[in-house]
Amino acid sequence: MNEATVNGQQRALTGIGAHTTALDWLRSCGLTGAKEGCAEGECGACAVLVAQPAESGRSAESGQSVASGQSDGADGADQTQWASVNSCLIPAAALNGQEVVTSEGLGSPADLHPVQSQMAANGSSQCGYCTPGFACSMAAEFYRCGRAGEAADVDGERSTDGAVTDDGGKPADGAVPADGTVPDDEHGPNGFDLHALSGNLCRCTGYRPIRDAAFALGAPQDDDPLAARRRKPAPGPVATDITGDDGRFVRPATLGETLDLMAGNPDATVVAGATDFGVEVNQRGRRDPLLIAVDRIDELRTFEATDSHVEIGAALSLSEVERKLDGRLPLLEGMFPQFASRLIRNRATIGGNLGTGSPIGDAPPALLALGARIVLVSPAGEREVDLDGYFTGYRQTVRRDDELIKSVRIPLPVAPLTAFHKIAKRRFDDISSVAIAIAGEVADGVITRARIGIGGAAATPLRAHDTERALLGNPWNEATINEAAAVLGAEGTPMDDHRASAAYRQSMLAQALKKFHAENDETLEVSA
Amino acid sequence: MSEILESTEIGRPMVRQDGPAKVRGLAPYAYEQPVQDPLHLHPVQSTIALGCIVSIDTSAAEALPGVVAVLTHENAPRLANTDDAELAVLQGHEVGFRGQFIGAVLAESPEVARQAAAAVVVDYEAEEHDADFRADHPQLTEPNAATADTFDGDVDTALRAAAHTVEATYTTPAEHNNPMEPHTTIALWDERGLTLYDSTQGPHPVRQTIAPVFGLQPDQVHVIAPHIGGGFGSKGLPHANVVLTALAAQRSGGRPVKLALTRQQMFTVAGYRTPTIQQVRLGADDDGRLSAVAMDAVEQTSKIKEFTEESGQPARMMYATPNRQVTQRLARLDIPVPSWMRAPGKCPGMFGPEVAMDEIAEACALDPIELRVRNEPESDPETGKPYSSRRLLDCLAEGAKRFGWDRRNARPGQRVQGRWRVGLGVAASTYPFLRQFSEAKVSYSADGTYAVHIGAADLGTGAWTALTQIAADALGVSAHRIRLEIGDTALPVASVAGGSSGTASWGAAIIAAADEFLAKFGVEPDPGAEVQTAAPRDSAQKEYAMHSFGAQFAEVCVNVDTGEVRVPRMLGVFSAGRIINAGTARSQFIGGMSMGIGMALHEQSVMDARFGSFVNHDFAEYHVPANADIADVDAVWLDEVDPLAGPLGARGIGEIGIVGAAAAVANATYNATGIRVRDLPLTPDKFL
Repeated sequence: MNEATVNGQQRALTGIGAHTTALDWLRSCGLTGAKEGCAEGECGACAVLVAQPAESGRSAESGQSVASGQSDGADGADQTQWASVNSCLIPAAALNGQEVVTSEGLGSPADLHPVQSQMAANGSSQCGYCTPGFACSMAAEFYRCGRAGEAADVDGERSTDGAVTDDGGKPADGAVPADGTVPDDEHGPNGFDLHALSGNLCRCTGYRPIRDAAFALGAPQDDDPLAARRRKPAPGPVATDITGDDGRFVRPATLGETLDLMAGNPDATVVAGATDFGVEVNQRGRRDPLLIAVDRIDELRTFEATDSHVEIGAALSLSEVERKLDGRLPLLEGMFPQFASRLIRNRATIGGNLGTGSPIGDAPPALLALGARIVLVSPAGEREVDLDGYFTGYRQTVRRDDELIKSVRIPLPVAPLTAFHKIAKRRFDDISSVAIAIAGEVADGVITRARIGIGGAAATPLRAHDTERALLGNPWNEATINEAAAVLGAEGTPMDDHRASAAYRQSMLAQALKKFHAENDETLEVSA
Repeated sequence: MSEILESTEIGRPMVRQDGPAKVRGLAPYAYEQPVQDPLHLHPVQSTIALGCIVSIDTSAAEALPGVVAVLTHENAPRLANTDDAELAVLQGHEVGFRGQFIGAVLAESPEVARQAAAAVVVDYEAEEHDADFRADHPQLTEPNAATADTFDGDVDTALRAAAHTVEATYTTPAEHNNPMEPHTTIALWDERGLTLYDSTQGPHPVRQTIAPVFGLQPDQVHVIAPHIGGGFGSKGLPHANVVLTALAAQRSGGRPVKLALTRQQMFTVAGYRTPTIQQVRLGADDDGRLSAVAMDAVEQTSKIKEFTEESGQPARMMYATPNRQVTQRLARLDIPVPSWMRAPGKCPGMFGPEVAMDEIAEACALDPIELRVRNEPESDPETGKPYSSRRLLDCLAEGAKRFGWDRRNARPGQRVQGRWRVGLGVAASTYPFLRQFSEAKVSYSADGTYAVHIGAADLGTGAWTALTQIAADALGVSAHRIRLEIGDTALPVASVAGGSSGTASWGAAIIAAADEFLAKFGVEPDPGAEVQTAAPRDSAQKEYAMHSFGAQFAEVCVNVDTGEVRVPRMLGVFSAGRIINAGTARSQFIGGMSMGIGMALHEQSVMDARFGSFVNHDFAEYHVPANADIADVDAVWLDEVDPLAGPLGARGIGEIGIVGAAAAVANATYNATGIRVRDLPLTPDKFL
């Protein structure tokens, strides 16, 4: 029987088709806390918690290949983590055998969960429509392994009484510190990472009462059931085959089964995190005859770091990749927070971001600059292709219908100077207007390595070959950079649309290269 | 002048009464109301902007399993009243804007309804439409229902004689309210009439609007709305979706019909703020005294229904000057019908003039705060009436002190930190006081509690909490003895939660009912004792100019390389009369200011005039501020009671937070960069 554990209770996955979303199914069960605000993963009103395998960043040291979720927990380390995800994008069928917690399942009928009581006490809800989603995202961060620190001493005085009194009115210190960095304030004093809330939109409160609640959270109590749950293994993948009148959803048990199924069904659609596919289902009525879920196939979830390369399994989520890399590749480190939102990153996979072939995906420019290669697997075996050349047209790639992206291989050592810039209309939770990744090396004042990937400048992600040629072998100085920046501005065929004008896109590409020079020039001079 | 209610509970930051239910996800919104065996509705929308339907083929849609009915203008029930063209859905073959409802599918599931709606084939005879909003539109006309033009003195002569002038054009784009909860309705007909579970800011206004459309008496329409997921004006009046749902429910065989608009549909049928083009002219003498203020605003409206944004309003009354001119003209276009969005008129109307004030301050070599000090009127420039309270200067002074205004360098572009240019800006804010007719009922129960009934709505403002506090003080008991009921037309008539008037209007009704109750039954009433009454009319509004005021301060950083604008710090100081609940009020102010930051930085509905539709019609492309966009935003208020603003002494707070916010941010970007941007939003390309 297909079933999921929701708020600690087994529920049969009945009445669902291949394309029924987890949100619709949960709401059909009477759990209406999760809500639809946009049906495309932008607003987070539908956020719920799912139990995922925990992994520690350094568990896969050099040469050691470890599939996630396999740590034995002997040292008491968490084996499960609560991840907040957009239930509007996940197929309900993908929940088979999994554990889900909704806002109704936080706390008990008698007592509010700590997240809920802080939100209630701090007035974090106004209209309340976004509130259950915020509660789930906040709870995921509350339980995040490694989040440290005490609750903030939120200035309750100020947050509850804003009337001007005689003792008030001291001038505030300027918010901008003298070192010129704009304050990010991305973490609370209790270690709460505000990126945890980056995929949740609120239209009423101005976020401050929500932030106050987040920063007031302490550590989970010893008897907290969701905290305790972390110490046991996460539910494993469960082979699933559900047919509705809208099509069939299959979660094969092995890579072999997957490839056979693909070979026998050329019209099958491979889904992993479904963060792109789910939007098509909701917004364009997309209904495909066969969906093959690959996000829990062990062979696609490997992570390997050797002296010569880093290999990232295609079905690892962006969040998992971030934790496993643990800062190993600064260029990707710069990309992760810019990639949609935590809610999306908890589901979206690196393979999916390459598989959709979108010209404005965030990973491709970064991986192009890193010289990544794609490992494709089919019944005929494996082949490796350069990411440069992988994209052949708008959402078209060299991948054959019977091939699956198995992993992404990044050769080491990476050039020492790297940068990733995503220019978007909003700081986070946005689609890029243009994105650029740069990896380079300078030796004796001469540019010896240069690789540049750009997105949003053409029908595909692009390698900026002409610009690279304008840099390579030339002196690392403003003249070279200015010349190359002019070349970079002319790469691709950016267009005018409501996200940005072509001129702005071109200007941003050129600016990014100049910025890359300006920033690294100081470093090079200092170290020289 | 009413007697001001003494406060015990009022003013306290009582936690939101609805908070626990909302954080658990248990508060029911319209779509979640339990109804038996509902059908689901999905509209068919026009794909042309102007013309008529030649034929509409529903056969493929009707053939789909699960489809119960497909409604079109050919077979839809007739409405009793079609005077309001926005609400006259499926009553004719004409199309007045792209996205207009031209049909609807009733089906067993939302998915089937949607699929079937896409299968309806429509053949149109399209006419050449006009969706191109521009100041030089050849047929600009005066509004039929709006404040008349103001011509006081001779602006042109004064400008010619002025030592300093600013003459510039400022624009604000179309914006969409985008409450988090989509507009949602469940409609059910039975022998008693029509029941609507509606996501609305006013159950009674929905009843009053919808009843005549269907030829019903008001008491035949029952509207229920205990919780509303935001509205910001778009749920202030019922839009076509409510009529469509009720219409379809006449063909459902007695089954309830549910419709939740998609986020995309909300961009065409649920109202929006019109774009404005504001030609502002200011003249000043060497001392910075304004000799002329002119504001000539152009807005758009839909040809099928007039709506005037009234963005000229603030310029009429903000500053003293002998020569004033304010005009408002409409471009009537084949476009979706605009409507209310938070602080209609005042919000866009304070952008151009408040940026122009910044410009003329610089021309006069005056601090922008000092400029406002020198132009403070003694009475309302438009009506000559005395102000019940006008403490703009106190707000500016308090804000300047708290914000560190003295550290602002008057010369723009002087403060550079790393790759960021930093600047400070200020703008004034204002919103009028409004009180509307409302009734309330108070009754006493054997358990020692008072039931307080009023058909008001809490769209997130905190009415559940604030009205409980008011009732407690009005009855002289502690808040836990009050059982408040709102959100239902079965309760006494209450005005719309709009125009920042809800708390003052409903609070006055509750106080009137409580007063009468106490007079009649005393403090030891018998169980069952009951009083229902309306608040007395307010004479002060005739004799006084009654407005709230505020000062908005912003610090911005503009990136040297990208032009990106960030707002690390913002402070609003408001004078709004008495504050009922310090916690919910603060959240309302900050929320309004945050929406103002959205207006400043992001929000813009992009009209593709070739098609007459908004192209960025979802949350991926229409950007509201996210968490990271809102840094240190704070709001404080002057501790005061307006003795003329009814028995509460409160003037309302829902809208003033957004007014002036975008101008403050824009003025700060000028101070940071020396680049004067007069067109919102302040996108990065404008600073390169």
